[in-house]
Amino acid sequence: MWHFILKRLLTIIPMALIVVTVTWGLIRLAPGNFYSGEKKLPPAIEKNIRAKYGLDQPWYVQYGKVIGRIVRLDFGDSLKYEGQSVNTIIKRHLPYSATIGILAYLFAVVVGLSAGIIAALKQNSGFDYGSMALSMLGLSVPSFVMGPILVLVFSLWLFILPPARFTGLSSLVLPVFTLGAIYAAYIARMTRAGMLEILRSDYIRTARAKGLSEKTVLLKHALRGGIIPVVSFTGPALASLLAGTVVVERVFAIPGLGNMFVQSVFNRDEPLILGVVAFLSIMLMVFNLIVDISYGFLDPRIRYE
Amino acid sequence: MSQKIFCRILTGIVLFSVGVVSIGCSNAGNSKYWGKIDVPKEDNLRYITGSEPESLDPQFVTGQPEARILIGLFDRLVEYHPKTMQPIPSLASSWETTPDGLVYTFHLRKDGKFSNGDPIKAKDFVWSFKRGLSPELASRYAFLGYDMKYGEEYNSGKSFVKKNGKFLPEDPAGASLDGCDLSGPKCLAVVTDEEGMKELKENDKDTASRIEGAEFVPVTADNVGISAVDDYTLKATLKQPAPYFVGLLCHQFFSALHQPSMDKFKKEWMKPENIVTSGAYQLESWDPYDQMTIAKSDKYWDAKNVKLNKIQFYPMDEQTTMMNIYKAGRVDALYNHTVPAAWNDEIKKFKDEYLLHPEVTIEYYTFSIKKKPFDSIHVRRAFSLSVNRANLEAFRKTIKQTADFVPSIFPEYEKARKKVFAELAKKDGMTEKDLEARLFDPAQACKEMKEAGYSVTDGKDGKCKVSDFPLDGVELTYNTAESNKAVAEFVQSQWKQNLGITIPLKNMEFKTFLPYRSAIEYKGMARAGWVGDYMDPFTFLSQFYSPKNDSSTGWWNPKYDALLDDANKDLDPTSRFEKMARAEYMMMMDQPVIPLGVAGTNWMKKPYVKGLYPNPGTMHPWKFVYIERDPSKWDHDVDKIMTEQSDPAVDAQVAALEKTQLDFEKSRTELTKKESGEKDAD
Amino acid sequence: MSDNKEFVKGTSLWKDAWRRLLKNKLAVFGLVVMIVMTILVVFGPFLLLKILGVDATSVPDNQDLLKAIPPNAKHWMGTDDLGRDLFARVIQGGRISLMVGVISTFVSLVVGVSYGAIAGYVGGRVDNFMMRLVDIFYSIPYILLVIVLLEVFKGENTPSIITAVSELFGGSGPLNQIFLLFFALGLVSWLTMARVVRGQVLSLKNQEFVMAAKATGVSSFGIIFRHLVPNTLGPVIVYATLTIPSVMLSEAFLSYLGMGVQAPYASWGSLAAEGIKNIAIFPWQLIFPGVTMALTLFSLNFLGDGLRDALDPQTRKF
Repeated sequence: MWHFILKRLLTIIPMALIVVTVTWGLIRLAPGNFYSGEKKLPPAIEKNIRAKYGLDQPWYVQYGKVIGRIVRLDFGDSLKYEGQSVNTIIKRHLPYSATIGILAYLFAVVVGLSAGIIAALKQNSGFDYGSMALSMLGLSVPSFVMGPILVLVFSLWLFILPPARFTGLSSLVLPVFTLGAIYAAYIARMTRAGMLEILRSDYIRTARAKGLSEKTVLLKHALRGGIIPVVSFTGPALASLLAGTVVVERVFAIPGLGNMFVQSVFNRDEPLILGVVAFLSIMLMVFNLIVDISYGFLDPRIRYE
Repeated sequence: MSQKIFCRILTGIVLFSVGVVSIGCSNAGNSKYWGKIDVPKEDNLRYITGSEPESLDPQFVTGQPEARILIGLFDRLVEYHPKTMQPIPSLASSWETTPDGLVYTFHLRKDGKFSNGDPIKAKDFVWSFKRGLSPELASRYAFLGYDMKYGEEYNSGKSFVKKNGKFLPEDPAGASLDGCDLSGPKCLAVVTDEEGMKELKENDKDTASRIEGAEFVPVTADNVGISAVDDYTLKATLKQPAPYFVGLLCHQFFSALHQPSMDKFKKEWMKPENIVTSGAYQLESWDPYDQMTIAKSDKYWDAKNVKLNKIQFYPMDEQTTMMNIYKAGRVDALYNHTVPAAWNDEIKKFKDEYLLHPEVTIEYYTFSIKKKPFDSIHVRRAFSLSVNRANLEAFRKTIKQTADFVPSIFPEYEKARKKVFAELAKKDGMTEKDLEARLFDPAQACKEMKEAGYSVTDGKDGKCKVSDFPLDGVELTYNTAESNKAVAEFVQSQWKQNLGITIPLKNMEFKTFLPYRSAIEYKGMARAGWVGDYMDPFTFLSQFYSPKNDSSTGWWNPKYDALLDDANKDLDPTSRFEKMARAEYMMMMDQPVIPLGVAGTNWMKKPYVKGLYPNPGTMHPWKFVYIERDPSKWDHDVDKIMTEQSDPAVDAQVAALEKTQLDFEKSRTELTKKESGEKDAD
Repeated sequence: MSDNKEFVKGTSLWKDAWRRLLKNKLAVFGLVVMIVMTILVVFGPFLLLKILGVDATSVPDNQDLLKAIPPNAKHWMGTDDLGRDLFARVIQGGRISLMVGVISTFVSLVVGVSYGAIAGYVGGRVDNFMMRLVDIFYSIPYILLVIVLLEVFKGENTPSIITAVSELFGGSGPLNQIFLLFFALGLVSWLTMARVVRGQVLSLKNQEFVMAAKATGVSSFGIIFRHLVPNTLGPVIVYATLTIPSVMLSEAFLSYLGMGVQAPYASWGSLAAEGIKNIAIFPWQLIFPGVTMALTLFSLNFLGDGLRDALDPQTRKF
């Protein structure tokens, strides 16, 4: 087991480098420059800029510099935000995204899991139909619609919650709900499906036949197997939640990492893009590793060599 | 337990649905103001300025969001007039120019101070201007300093050419025995690196042969035409007359910067704890993507007239979010173009809050005039004539229709243009009505298409159907934005209705679009917009100046350049504008672009915010802004805020500032009168 | 022998499934809505033009009509900001959204399920390698990839066959690059599907029925696609129905980047995005596209659930 974890942890480094390399190549292929704007620059000024940022050097020199920096975990300075280092920017914006992301995920897990389990146990009941319809509603209402409607009701009519900006606990309610609703819907549906599958399987029947209490059957046996699809989905979901979600951040004007990252792509801010990509890919791989390990705990039949 | 949660969610959902339905029914029209009015307790203004500022280096940034903050932090020789954006005295109490328009002398006020108490002297400006031009800084706005002698040469890393111990002049005919004098304007300077030499050899064989065997002396900062005569007198020498020069100096690029702190802190100089500013405000805090607070600087020379203690800037990207936060009473004013066009009918009812005035901008479509089918002037004219601009104005609501390139916000230029256009049109056999019909004339458009050789079937109301227009490879490309899309869809429908031609639309992400347009790779037409850098028509006309111009159309005419050069040498504003209008007429008759409209300011402010005017560039000198707690003195009917409803207190404040220059000019005229009088007496 | 066996099994499976599906009222409802919706998006634009005289792109020539108008006898769903008929736009948008949702989800199903199942079943190094590849795909910034794709296939580079085929599909106009859109959507939507299926297979592959199949000499291919995949159908179908809305919304975002549907055409996602801006003043602009989209997704979902129950090999045991 420990051997397996160590091996996986070690593969993260080359993989992150592959991701960074591919991304770097994509940035090079993408048209436009970080300095281009509605006003075309005189060639002399463009030349000055290219010289200042080393863009006039051959590609392999530039690539070498990028990799050299990243290996030292120093992502350099942002091109767009003059004088701000990428490390500071990530450090500054991560807490906002993480707070909202983790809260939203907790909300989603609590609501989604319980709704999914109950719906599976009472299959074809009113609760089952009701909660599944509700979750479908949550899925078919995109967050760019849900957010503004929540704002309209709670901020502009009732004036009880702030419409935007991260100003304290009360300002967290709307973004967390907007973000969490979709994930809750996902989880509820996947839990229900997974549970239904498991409840019919032989080992649950065996467990029931052994005369175990319904509670033990459910919590000790069924739930473990039933939430495997949810767990598979958790790795990427958590990583993307930590990275922030662009829509929610823009609608509520929250200084998270998601909007920052998307803007950096639109701005062609190479160091920032590479920094965030490296950071996120490592996060994603760590989360996926945790997910893979938890498979073994959830279902003892899954083994890793 | 989960059932409880679900009940809550259910209640929530029901609430929204009820909400959504009742919006349709509810009408907030009875209230005088849009949303909550929450007058701040202190003299603090909360303002939304657009995207997150890139930097606080006035010579590095290019965007308007930053500019609005920076003109509060850094003072310049001249300040924007809060209404017209024409220059008014600031750190320079007065200025004068030589009759040839080549040398400007600025008289600095003696009480100018940085936020740390250091006096602001002429040498600070010299250092700051040279810094902006230095190739190492690589400022994107360095071209603003190109009017100063050798500014461009220094910024481009060029070298003077020395042969036999003498500098070569730019004009071979002007060679004198002593060689070129560097203190005079025109000495030859060339790029000496490999690439530059190669280009010279290919494109300019004469110069290439002239410089053979010469030695090169790099142009340095010392050669740039800016110098301190004494502590409080600054002299700027230009390479050619530029009557707009003083107006240009309002731009944040020409701020007074504090050299010692910038040298000391290097990269960290703009941190709140390090930064030394020269303006009415200093930086208090900066939380990127969240807020920035600037606080009044008590060292500022005009501190007694600065009324706001603090200004909080909130960076935001989403229009609806800004509107929400404004409606909830959590900000006091918004920046330009923040009200979605579709909301206009609703919002314009709030006459005390909604500001719509013309801007110093132009929105247009460019033609790729070197490629078929828009290489034909008739086709270009037909496409311009067949857009019903009155309908565009009615639909977009926030733009004013135009068929000309220079927006009609320069009253003096407007007069000159009317006169010149009428005169020239007459020569071309057009009436004034024809000139006006350029805004929309489908019948004429059909005629032009016929003249271009297409088969045209006439329909009713002057409309027609062109059957053989080649659609292959013709598109209208625009960069992704809600407003661009709406305008493109409208214009597309116009061509369809009036010419029977359906031009495909293509949107592109901004940075992909830019090189595509500027390299004129686009097929047929592309969207463009231009925001003036200073308050002079030249900022628009220069778009088409020089063979390597920035118009992205491929259009150029040496006669056009000659007309503009001639105009700029003219110190009389009226005849200068007339010459410029001639140039504009010449260009517009070739129709390399389809002018569509001039954007309006389109923003809102709470009625208690006073001294904030909808000027053409949405640049607010913050020292005129204040918060009025007495509701009887609040702004109302802000459509007239620039005229009848103007605030006398602010007007008086501006007048007091303008007085130093007016007095100076008066004393100068009296002096010359006296001198000439004395001469006459002789 | 094997041919014969499959033939017999095949007919009974589908017949059985169909019978079970028809018993499920919600599934039938979903099926009917989907059929109606398909007919509407195929023939709707033509009918609307004939009956009401409106189409999705016509902008009125009259200044007074150049604005959002509430629902009325001519414009059943009102108009958008340019005075275009919203009903026609919703139907036209349905073409794009339905096509995008169904095709992309199908692609993600095929690719994701096979990829995940193979990785999970084979296990070991192959699994490790395949899943790391998924991780890498996940980590590469999607927007950047799309921007580069667009640059590569820009203008002249788009093979004319693609343009021709996409015009055929768009029907009402030059909906270029719609295939590029499927490609871009397909690139990412299968990743999570692969992880979900792999997780399921990992837990199934040591079960008795797999052992039994192995013992009787069924090939690996047979085990994966005949025994393991059908047993993962539950979560897979559910995840597929979850993919459809997310793909439809991604389309709106890709259109923003310049891929997918070009103005003046719209999709449900872009109509909703436009509608939400005006929610406070012209609520119909959000309500009609939103309700149409929700109704479709609900129906697809009911149908999906019904299909799952009908095809589930486990239920057949009872």
